[in-house]
Order: sequence, then C-alpha cells, then structure tokens
Amino acid sequence: MSDLIFTLVVAILLLGTIVPLLGVGREVRITRYISLVSTILASILLTCLSAGILFSGTTLAFNLFQPFPSFPIIILIDRLAAFFLVIIGTVTACVAVYSIGYLEHMEGLERRNLLCACLNLFILAMTLVVASATTTSFFFFWELMALSSFFLVMYDYTGHETHKAGIFYFVMTHLSTLFVLFGFIALYTASGSFAVGPVHSPDRLLITITFLLLFVGFSIKAGIIPFHKWLPYAHPASPSPVSALMSAVMLKVAVYGLLRFIFTVLSPDLWWGVLILLAGIASATLGVIYALKEHDVKGMLAYSSIENIGIIFVGIGLYVIFTCTNLPLLATISLLGALFHSLNHALFKSLLFLTAGSVVHVTHTRDIEKMGGLARRMPYTSALFFIGAIAIAALPPLNGFASELLIFIAFFQSVAIVDPLMKVFLFICLALFALTSALSAACFVKAFGSIFLAQPRSRASSEAQETGMLMIAGPVLLAAACIVLGIFAFQVLSYAGYSLPVPDMFLISILLLFMAALTYVIFYVTASHDVRISETWGCGARFQPSSTEYTGHGFSEPIVTIFSAVYRTKKTSKKMYFDQSECIFKEGTADIRLIKFFEEYLYLPIARSSCAAAARIARLQNGCLDTYILYVFVTVIAIILFLGWSA
Amino acid sequence: MTIEFALYCILNTLFVIGISPLFVSMIKKVKAWTQGRQGPPIFQTYLTLTKLLRKEVIYSPYSSRIMRVTPYVNIAAILVAALFVPLVYVTTPDGGIGNIILFLYLLVLARFFMALSGLDAGSSFGGMGSSREMSIAAVIEPTTIIVFAALAFVFKSLNIFDMVLISAASATPVTPTLILIGISLFTILIVETARIPIDNPETHLELTMIHEGMVLEQSGGNLALMELSAAIKQTLLMALVINLIFPVGMATTLSLAAIIIAMGLFAIKGALLALIIGLFESSMAKMRFFRLPSLFMMAFFFSTLVIIIEVFT
Repeated sequence: MSDLIFTLVVAILLLGTIVPLLGVGREVRITRYISLVSTILASILLTCLSAGILFSGTTLAFNLFQPFPSFPIIILIDRLAAFFLVIIGTVTACVAVYSIGYLEHMEGLERRNLLCACLNLFILAMTLVVASATTTSFFFFWELMALSSFFLVMYDYTGHETHKAGIFYFVMTHLSTLFVLFGFIALYTASGSFAVGPVHSPDRLLITITFLLLFVGFSIKAGIIPFHKWLPYAHPASPSPVSALMSAVMLKVAVYGLLRFIFTVLSPDLWWGVLILLAGIASATLGVIYALKEHDVKGMLAYSSIENIGIIFVGIGLYVIFTCTNLPLLATISLLGALFHSLNHALFKSLLFLTAGSVVHVTHTRDIEKMGGLARRMPYTSALFFIGAIAIAALPPLNGFASELLIFIAFFQSVAIVDPLMKVFLFICLALFALTSALSAACFVKAFGSIFLAQPRSRASSEAQETGMLMIAGPVLLAAACIVLGIFAFQVLSYAGYSLPVPDMFLISILLLFMAALTYVIFYVTASHDVRISETWGCGARFQPSSTEYTGHGFSEPIVTIFSAVYRTKKTSKKMYFDQSECIFKEGTADIRLIKFFEEYLYLPIARSSCAAAARIARLQNGCLDTYILYVFVTVIAIILFLGWSA
Repeated sequence: MTIEFALYCILNTLFVIGISPLFVSMIKKVKAWTQGRQGPPIFQTYLTLTKLLRKEVIYSPYSSRIMRVTPYVNIAAILVAALFVPLVYVTTPDGGIGNIILFLYLLVLARFFMALSGLDAGSSFGGMGSSREMSIAAVIEPTTIIVFAALAFVFKSLNIFDMVLISAASATPVTPTLILIGISLFTILIVETARIPIDNPETHLELTMIHEGMVLEQSGGNLALMELSAAIKQTLLMALVINLIFPVGMATTLSLAAIIIAMGLFAIKGALLALIIGLFESSMAKMRFFRLPSLFMMAFFFSTLVIIIEVFT
C-alpha cells in the first residue's frame, strides 16, 4: 500500500513537470494551475505517508523502476528518511499554495510555465535523493536536483546580478557534486557495493578519506563557511518561492546526506565530531555576524540560513562526540536537537522568505532601508513575518527555541565527559553558540523594525497594500506549524518515543497567557482608560520626517563596530591642516573599504590559479592536425607500455 | 501541578511584585546619600507607579500594534520568569519550571519586544536605545551563558530550584568557586539592569541612555508596566546572587513562621545588595559605549577561567 502511494507521489510530480511544458510558448494559465495543484496534492500525500512511517517506525523498501539492468532505483524509507520527507512535504505544500498567487504577479509570461515544471522536477529530485537506497541513484538525483535548481535560480536570466549568481551557484553546486562523486567512489572501493548500508572495512584510512570527501561535498551544498558564498548570491537573485524551497529544503537534503552517510554508513571517530562541531560553530557565528550587516532582505535571510545550518551541524557534531564518549542520552538529545532544528528551520525560514517575497513584490525593492511602516499597511504579512522572526530568534514559546533548547541542554551537561580539554572546548563552543542566538535576536529586531515599523521611507513603501489571499494562506500554514511545534514540542517528542528531561513549553505558554490576561484584567479595573493618539516628543521639532528615523544601518552600527575585526572593514582617513598645531582643517580624504574576505582570500586565488593552469594546458590545443596525431600516437604507446607493465 | 507548587507560585509572584519597587528606591536612596542629597522617600517608586496608572496613554500616530502589546508581553514574560527563581520558599520543581536556560530566554523575550517597541514610534531616541540594548545584550550573552553553565556544573543540575535547594541544604554553602561565580553574576546583574558603568538609569540624555531610550515613548499605565517589569527583573537577578550564594534562612517547608522569617531575611539581604549596588554605581563613571566590549571580554575571560579551574581541579 505504502509503495503504491509513493509511486503515486512520483507520478503526480512527473505529471506536474510535463503538463506545464505543453503550455510553454503560449500564455496558458490552466497548465500552471494543474501543475501547482498536483504539487500540493503530491506533497500532502508524501507528508502523510512519511509521517506514518516516522511514527510507526516501519521501513518501506521496494523497487520503484529499473531503467537498466544494473541501475535499479530502489526506494528505502526508514525513520531518518521519513523525517526529511516530512520536511520536504510540508514546506513544499505551503510554498506551492503561495506560488499560485505569486506566479501571477511575476514577469516573463511564458517562462512561468517553465518555472512550474522545474519546480516539480526539483521537488521530485529532492524526494528521490532522500528515498534512494543506492549510491548510484542518490548521485543521479543529486545531480538532477542541482540542475533543476540552477534553472530555477536563473529564472530572471536577463538581469546581470542573476547571471552572476547563477554561474556562481552552478560552479559551487558542481564542486559539491564532484566531491560527493569522489566520496562515493571511495565508498565503493571500501565496501564493494553501491548499497547505502553499513560498511565494515578494516581500512580506516579509506574510511577517513571517504568521510572527508563526503563532508566537503555535503558542506558545500549545505552552505557551511567557507563554502557558503553561493547562498547570498543565489537566494536574492531567485524568485521568492524558489529561495524558500532552496533554503528550507535543499540545504536539509545536504544535511540528510551527511547524517545518512556518516552515521549509518561509516562509523564515526571522535575527531569527526570535533570537525563537524567546529565547522558548525564557525558557520553559525560568522553567518549571523554577516547577516547583521546585510541590508538586502533576502541576502540577510540567506546568511541567516548559513547560521541555522551551522546550528544543525553543532547538534550533529555534539552527537558524534557524545556517541564516541559513551553518553547515549546526551547523544540522543543533541541528535534530536539537530533534527528538530532542521524541521523548524525549514518551517520558519520558508515562512520568512515567502513573507519577505510579498514585501519585495509590493515595494519593488529588496533594500530594507527603503521600506518601513509596512506593519500598518500589510497587517497580515507583518504578523506572519513577526511569528517567523520570533521563531528564528529562538524565543520561547515558539519552535526555534524548542530545538535550540535541546542543544543548549546537551551543551550544559557536557561536563559528564571525562576529558578536561574536551570539556573546556565544549564550554567555549557553548559561549559562541549563545553569542549566535543573541545576535540573531538583534538581527531580527533590526529586520522587523526596519521593514515593518515606524514611518515609510520610500514612496512605494507608503503606497503598499496587503497581498492576495493565497500569498497569505501559504505562510499562515507555516506560521501555525511554527507555533504548534513550539508549544507542543515536549508532547511531539514524547509521541515519537523520546521522553527527555526538557521543560514542557505548553505549561509555559499557558502561564504566559495567564499572566498577560491577569495583568490586562487588573489594568482594566484599576488603570485609567484614557488613550490619545498624538505626536510624541520629537526633540522640539514640529513634525518628524521619516529621514530622522533610526535606519537599519544605524541599528547594526554598534555591532559592526564591535566586530569590525571580523568584517575586516578598513577605515582610513587623511587630514591636512592650515596651521602647525592642527586646528584648522583644510582638506582631507576618508575611505571605507569593505573586504569580501572569503572571496578575496579564498575563492579568487583558487579561481585565478585554476585559470592559469587552464591557460597552460590550453597550449596543447594548437589547432595543428599533426600535433593531435602525435598526441594520439603517444597515448597509444603509453597505453601499450602500461598494459605490458601491469601484465 | 500540586497544590503546594501552586501556593509557591502565588506566594513568589506576589512577593516579587511587592518588594521589587522597594529595592529600586533603596538603590536610589543610597546613591543620593553618597552624593550628599536626601533622596526620594523609600516608598516613592510605589507612588510613582500608582500615579502612572491614573495617567492617560499616548500613542504616536505611526506606532503599530507592537507598541500596544509590548507592556503586556513584557510583564507576562518577566512574571513567568519570576516563577523560576524561588525568593523565600523553595519546593521541588514541576513541569520544567526553574530551567535556567528557559529563564534566560524569557528575559530575552521581554527584551525583544521592548527593543521593537523602541523602534515602533520612529523616534531616533527609541531606535538608538534599541540598537544599543541589543548590541550590549549580544556581547554579554556568552558571559551569561558561561556563568549559568558554571552554576549548572557546580550544582549538577539545570534547575534553579535544585540549585537553591542544594545550596540551602549544605552546611557551608559559600565555596571559593561560588564566590568567583558570584562576582560574575554581579557583573551580569549590573549589565542586565542597565546600571553604571553600562548605562545610566537616571538620565534622559541621548548620549547616555539605553534602557530609558527604549521606554521613552511609553506613557501612563503602559509605562508603569514597563517600569515594574524592569524592577522585577532586577529583583530576580539579585535573588539569584542572594539565594545561590547566601541562602541562609530560605524556607524549605510551607509554614507561615518560616516564610515570614525568610521574607524578612530576604529583604535585609536585598537591602545589603542594594547598598553594594548603589555604592558600586556611585564609585564609577559611565563608560564610553565602545569601551564596553572590552569590559565584557574581561568578564568573559574571568568566568571561563573559573570554569577551567573547576574543571581541572
């Protein structure tokens, strides 16, 4: 029964891919609707199916399709895969609902059908990556996922910015594919089979190499610093539903790959955990520090994704460390923290991307300095973004806090580890982790404050109006999920079979509501009811122009100054004076230079050296036929010699 | 939830609301004395709060619903957090109440809303206050969490109730480690309650104010709520210092005599701490804003050192 449902899901998604292609070149609305409705249908089916598997604990395995004798597509959905399929299903359903409304406002008439087709293909690819039981089909769908998402990023292909983002994404994602491919080759050498299953190889070196290759491959896709640069390019350039899907779901597929191959296939060592933890904490801290400086709303969300993936990696790293030091309870808590945060991040990040998409659509700009005052003009969108902001800032009682709490608890109890050096190391990581969550609260105060509060700072912003029903309906579902998963986190975990020593957020929420209600009642009885709407004091100015407001730049200025060493901002100034005692200023220059650290010191040198190497190799291609015959001749001789040697 | 625990909740909440304004006045009084002034009467804060309740509330025409809900969210978060810190009577915790991480994040919840309300009216004072508050909060966070982790480490529990119980039950609660942690806790108290050298609670000068800047747009009853929640927050942090380091006289059974004695002792210990805070504030000048991170770095290294000493011995 389950296998039939899964086949049906695949079939519906394929239908959703093919139908809009029939409408390409003409402006046919109906094909788009069919396509997106089938996406919604498929994702609901997928969610129900995988939630069933997740909570019942059964495993679904069957042969989906066999295109070639040696290349079967075998489906294997266990609890881990089912969990990630739930993420894919829920987020996709909500994004598809939003997209029905969003697509009609997009530019590029006939391309919209193509977008629907690619969207379905992308979702299909992600679903099958997670459900793959062999490395060959995993790899095949991994590449399909990369290609379809590339086309999605390139939707607005005429824009210069999109062009650059697309190429950047293409190169990075293929670097990831390359590492994954090498990893799989190493895995095959170690195990001798293509199946995704435990490897019992005595050759520890080979296992280590496999781990490193796969780790780099999945890290690039997940956006771990220093492989993160494609995210802040690709997310702002692509349409909002696409950014939501990529950030919320595709990054999680990379996390799934890491979890699957490192824990169920290879058996981890302690230092793997330390490596993953370090990568995670670096991404989390730097990600949020960069996010604070970003004034492009989608760029900021992209950096914040880097931060959250970092948090997930921290959880995974702790899991490995606790597993290797024989602390199973703490290991379970940290793994649940990582998994729960994957789900939560998928929910609130897609919520934020979708609502940010509505805002960008209305104000025609991504610069938060040109927004402002939207809370009164777009009440629903602002309320939804606000829920997302509370969740991502890890405030109780929403879901972001519930998962970070698990990781915090694991960190706090890490004193159970015997090794004192490891203890100190974990305490330092804990401090950085706390810094991350405090900075992300600052970041979202800034984001919400600049976008939605105070007075509008541009004409488009002051003329903004609420978006359509569908563009609210999709985010509403996500926001509801954020609230429910936060308040009932304890109950959900218990239902899944994990009774952990964590606070019951339901009780806390009841108490919060009770206290607020009590205060309100006491106030209603005792306090004065007079309310006046009037200009508040503005330093004696007759009226407040919106230009006197505190802007996003101003808001993050203290943090930018405090962390100036991280941003590597160089400020230089030269002053010339009329007099010798340097009192009367004559002229001078001041210069602020922002260094894109990773690009200038890591990416560009690599790119330059590979270009130089390519130029050297290009000399072989001189276009002369005789030379090519010589190459062929030399190659043949070399092969003969080599074969003779090995025989 | 047992009846005993429910009684604890009611008792703790009423007591914290009752005594918090007193400590605010006491610190003001101490500061006035050191400056050679008489200072306001000791019950002035209560009077101010009741006066504010009778005043009308003014909203800026640009402000949104954030401004209207912030006072309630703020006081609710702080009052729930108040349940987490036993002031005079400690019982066995229930349903995760008392979790030290949750306590910290309830304070963050209040701060998040307060910072947004600072931005809401569009005045540059409020924005400046919010921006500085969030920056300071972010930079002090590592220290706070390290101190809390150190507490969890020393008492082998994540729950403030357990910590207080262990501390109250032991014959010699004051260990060298606890004194060191106490110093860090005191630093956090100064930072979180926006006192000199971080912020000056007395002025309304744009150059110096952080917390006051954020609540500048609040008025009437809403302002009373904001002031009350700030006072309660201060009492909670003071109670952490008092009850973890000098828990003498803490009631562990639900008897009227024990609780009244504990209340009296808590008021005396609180008054002493208020005296220390007042003297500390008076002996310092406010620091330049961008000098603060180095102060926090020192606090952080100090706290980490405490942990390292504890780990290696």
